Amino acid sequence: MKSIKIKADNLNVYYGEKQALFDVSMYMEEKQVTALIGPSGCGKSTFIRCLNRMNDVIDICKVQGKIEIDGNNIYAPSMQVEQLRERVGMVFQKPNPFPKSIFENVAYGPRIHGIAENKSDLEEIVVNSLKKAALFDEVKDRLNDAGTGLSGGQQQRLCIARAISVNPDIILMDEPCSALDPIATARIEELMGELKTEYTIIIVTHSMQQAARVSSRTGFFHLGKLVEVDKTETIFSNPSDQRTQDYITGRFG
Amino acid sequence: MSEHIVSSYDEQLDLINSTLIKMGGLVETQLHNSLVALGDKDTAFAEEILRDDNKIDALEKEIDALTYKVIAMRQPLANDLRTVLSALSIANDLERMGDHATNIAKRVANVKINMPDTPVSEIVNMGENVQRMIKNVLDAFVQKSDTLAINAWDLDGDIDELYLSIYRDLLKTMAEDPDTITGCSHLLSIAKNIERIGDYVQNIAEDIHFITTGQALERKSEKRIKWEKV
Repeated sequence: MKSIKIKADNLNVYYGEKQALFDVSMYMEEKQVTALIGPSGCGKSTFIRCLNRMNDVIDICKVQGKIEIDGNNIYAPSMQVEQLRERVGMVFQKPNPFPKSIFENVAYGPRIHGIAENKSDLEEIVVNSLKKAALFDEVKDRLNDAGTGLSGGQQQRLCIARAISVNPDIILMDEPCSALDPIATARIEELMGELKTEYTIIIVTHSMQQAARVSSRTGFFHLGKLVEVDKTETIFSNPSDQRTQDYITGRFG
Repeated sequence: MSEHIVSSYDEQLDLINSTLIKMGGLVETQLHNSLVALGDKDTAFAEEILRDDNKIDALEKEIDALTYKVIAMRQPLANDLRTVLSALSIANDLERMGDHATNIAKRVANVKINMPDTPVSEIVNMGENVQRMIKNVLDAFVQKSDTLAINAWDLDGDIDELYLSIYRDLLKTMAEDPDTITGCSHLLSIAKNIERIGDYVQNIAEDIHFITTGQALERKSEKRIKWEKV
């Protein structure tokens, strides 16, 4: 078994009176892709947003329980949220590059986190991040063009480059391919295979086939509960819970 | 089993199921008819039976096409995936069973000459037992019942015993009266055909177990034939 990177323990999340997550406990292995599936509103996005404390910005959101990354509780009072987010990058459903140049999109993070010592350092980080995101060859001659001028798939890879530019351990992806065509989707999936040699990846996806293709473990959420989490192969061939089977075979959801 | 949200998906799976059941019914009839032709030494009827094998083969192709279509269109998962993959395997086994049943009919003319009645009726009896196994395993398939499937699987032990006893009897008959050698050799092949059909029933029972439980059937026959004593 791989070593455990993230561990959630009896996680309960409330938005005001409404409880969004119920006693969720699961672990995520280091340098592996973990997929989270489930119908809309099942809590999987809420869960993923707890992993870098994105829910902190929502006033009525209350988180109980524990999430450990490398054994440290990220909800401990001593945890510095900026440092946490440096380690846990995120990529969203719709590509959301800054209205800046391709270069500046990637340089932004290292600059505000003070990662680059000087200009050539920064350039190196930008080039490396773009290379890791498999975008460099397509944009190397136009790094000063606007990031928003790229195609959807390229924009999403730019967002991945931006996420990895601050050298995180973990990348959270919330339906990263739902706005992309099959070719751009295939490129991102291929990229995930490369990225997982360095990063722990958590992906929320509505595509069963995508979860089956990219992940080693899959968790199924329903009505705020983690119904089942197991090896991806088991989840899609012979899940233990009837609700999982009904969902993945298209019987409810 | 609850229904799919997309009802045309259910219709496709239902069609695969019903085609398999139809194919199984034809195989059962093919064996039944062959046994009747053998018992009555009715060569005209045997000729008729030979033509029916095409119908079984055609259904296998139909099931192949249906399963490919479902896989391409629906990307089935979990129990649906097991059902679709097993349908291919069951159709393949049924086609083989049909061939074995047809082979029995092919040999009726050869058995007609110079043959004592006793071994023939023993073989027909063995064939009727296998026919019941086919019926049982088809019932198990229709009901998606693991218990019925395992019951059908277990019956094969009796068939193997019957086969051994018939084998011995035929050797004895040949030794006593060399004029029966030709006929008995054909009967040996017929008995082997029937015995093979029993093995395919076991395969189908294993597929049903896989569909219903997601596990391979780990089971050993309690009755093991001891061929060294023959």
